[in-house]
Amino acid sequence: MSSTSLLPFRASLAMRTSLLALSLGAAAAGPAAARDLTIALSSNVNTLDPFKSTTVGTDLSVAAHIYTPLVDRGPDMKLRPGLATKWEAVGDTAWRFTLREGVTFSNGEKLDAEAVKWNVERVLDPKTAARNKPWFASISEVKVVSPGVVEFVTKGAYPDLPEQMSMFLLMPPKWTAENNPAVTALGSGPYELVRFASGDRVVLKARKDYWGEKPAFDNVTFRIIPEDSSRIAALVAGDVDLVTGFPTSEIARIKASGKVDASSVPGTRGMFIKLNALRAPFKDTPKVWRALNLAIDRKAINDGLLDGLGEISACQPLSPTYFGFNPDLKPIAYDPAQAKKLLAEAGVANSLTMELEVPTGRYIQASDIAQVVASQLGEVGVTVKLREMEFGAFMNKYIVGKNLGDSAYFGLGWPTLDAGGLLNFWETENPQSYWGNANFTDAAKAARSTNDPAKRMALYKTLTKQLCEDSPSIFLFFTPITYGQSKGIAWQARGDDWVRAMDVKTR
Amino acid sequence: MPRHLTSRLGEGLIAIWGVVTIVFVVSRMLGDPAVLLLPIGATEEQMRELRTQLGLDLPLLQQYLSFLLNAVKGDFGQSFQFGRPALSVVLERLPATAMLAGSALAIGILIGGTAGALAAIHRGSAIEALVLLVALLGQATPSFWLGIMLILLFAVQLGWLPTGGYGTWQNLVLPAVTLACFTTASIARLLRSSMLDVMRDDYVRTAYAKGLPPSRVFTWHVGRNSLIPVVTMTGILAGELLGGAAVTETVFSWPGVGRLIVQAIETKDFPVVQAGVAVVATIFVGVNLLVDLLYTLIDPRIRQAS
Repeated sequence: MSSTSLLPFRASLAMRTSLLALSLGAAAAGPAAARDLTIALSSNVNTLDPFKSTTVGTDLSVAAHIYTPLVDRGPDMKLRPGLATKWEAVGDTAWRFTLREGVTFSNGEKLDAEAVKWNVERVLDPKTAARNKPWFASISEVKVVSPGVVEFVTKGAYPDLPEQMSMFLLMPPKWTAENNPAVTALGSGPYELVRFASGDRVVLKARKDYWGEKPAFDNVTFRIIPEDSSRIAALVAGDVDLVTGFPTSEIARIKASGKVDASSVPGTRGMFIKLNALRAPFKDTPKVWRALNLAIDRKAINDGLLDGLGEISACQPLSPTYFGFNPDLKPIAYDPAQAKKLLAEAGVANSLTMELEVPTGRYIQASDIAQVVASQLGEVGVTVKLREMEFGAFMNKYIVGKNLGDSAYFGLGWPTLDAGGLLNFWETENPQSYWGNANFTDAAKAARSTNDPAKRMALYKTLTKQLCEDSPSIFLFFTPITYGQSKGIAWQARGDDWVRAMDVKTR
Repeated sequence: MPRHLTSRLGEGLIAIWGVVTIVFVVSRMLGDPAVLLLPIGATEEQMRELRTQLGLDLPLLQQYLSFLLNAVKGDFGQSFQFGRPALSVVLERLPATAMLAGSALAIGILIGGTAGALAAIHRGSAIEALVLLVALLGQATPSFWLGIMLILLFAVQLGWLPTGGYGTWQNLVLPAVTLACFTTASIARLLRSSMLDVMRDDYVRTAYAKGLPPSRVFTWHVGRNSLIPVVTMTGILAGELLGGAAVTETVFSWPGVGRLIVQAIETKDFPVVQAGVAVVATIFVGVNLLVDLLYTLIDPRIRQAS
């Protein structure tokens, strides 16, 4: 027997089993067989408590099968009713949500305005040590208008509260007090927990009495597979149905297997280089900022390292998915000659040396991208010293230590997909700003002080323009979310990290 | 208990204390967990509040003393990430680690031991050359690469075994073989050279001169006396397998202690790092005590000395 003849044997075995299944199906002709879906996650699910994690791609994605939010963000990135049927701003400092009638948690506890109020109070209580508290800290009071209507009073305006509410998974008050929600779960969502084996898998099954649309799969298993190659192997071997987050170069190889599909969608996290404008060599040097912006060939990086699947930034931190995206701005064109000229005018021709800090293990192909950036800047006479460091160490230096090097390769997304949260990072008082600009800060604050979409849109137009033209930021691209799936399913791929069985259909 | 074992136990406890102390200090130097636990955009006040809740605002010495006092009672605090006692997070991973390390060690002793003995007995033959070559390859092959290759061949191409995960004996085969590769090679090489050393000793020549059959000389004179270094080495390997299989665990999505500790370091989950290292150090000390006990069984001189 030659080594290759083993494969036809497998095929014939598969054929025989499918014939067997067919004949059994014909004989039974009863209810459809249980449909199973297995999703691979790249890092561990640590807790099932939706208040104790802000990691959308793992903990929150899993919890979202068991718990439901007031508002749901569909795979098209649009908000749609969840537990709330409608919501409206009440002036600039409150939001009113009307709840769906008669919804209960799976243990029978009522999901009414009182339950919502209890949830907000749990998040805000310091004793809870809720990790998602920063998302809801601006809520100053929850008013139970009636059992079916709840009003959130906010400190100042909170224009993207409904979007933020799409990440607020509601827990049953009584049950939560009597159980440890880190290891067990009970909610009002489409699935219930069967087994949580930390480090290995989370097993869910569809609830019979779910109030909403019935999901396409009866049994859903999340498996933790940290290594990229192993995750892809598991997909190709048929052990899992959906995998995400691998280098773009793998897409072609996965497709070549002929057994599974692979593709990508533009992500919502913008990659950029932040220059530290609080100290030399980038303090008060707008010409140099501009020169560095012109010296980077974004298209070459995207084509060369990301197979052209990234979305080049239109000179702003927002992708077109965000509220506040400025369609008038265009990507900065590559112009090394002009860059050299500006550097000469600034008096640093062939003499500028800068560090570029690169956090590792977090952003797709970060080391490769940073090396190409360094060599492109080298071509206009700038010497770049790459400083790779572990992500946690970088964050500590950058945020806690307030000690960013000359520059850093960094990624920024905002979970509500709203300009307000993102632009905040350039305001003078923000410790992550590393730039002081009073005009920008004042306008950004004005935009944050109203819930009126038209006023905000107009302000964001000027703000994004100012960031493009005057800020010490080099906006690069939005890295793609890569995914592979078995032929039997169709994931409505989304660029915001959520991985949910509810977004998967059979085909 | 023999006196030297008592003193080794005391040394072991001091070693565990030293290790957890170093880990306590070093993990505090990694930086602030609050910045990783809270979402990006959290204010300084929110970070401060979380630090207070986690007890990270207390003076370092006070944190250390309360850590030691509680650790003695088996309480390593609540994990920052898992929201439950750090020790139970570690201990629930221990069966997976023990199963993998035990299998790898069994393969290593069985195959490595056989191959090493064969190579020594057939000194200068093709068998010895083959064993040495395979053992060299086994020691030099990175487990990461080997693991991926085994997955591609046996799980993806042939479909005989799962690509990874935990639960059935099928899940165990590939990671155990991957992990056993280095162990087997090390034991084979060490046993061979140790046996060759002993075979040159006078008492072996005497045994032959007495007219004992070669099989008896090999089992009783050479075999037993060449075991001491091999047992020492196996003890060290066992300790390493139980604590340091993070790469193999990652490649095969095996929910073991090694991977847990690496993850806890990345996320600065101090209680889990401390509990994990304390557990691994304790196992290491335990295995070494076992090795000491084995010495006394193998070598009567050690038994009499104590």
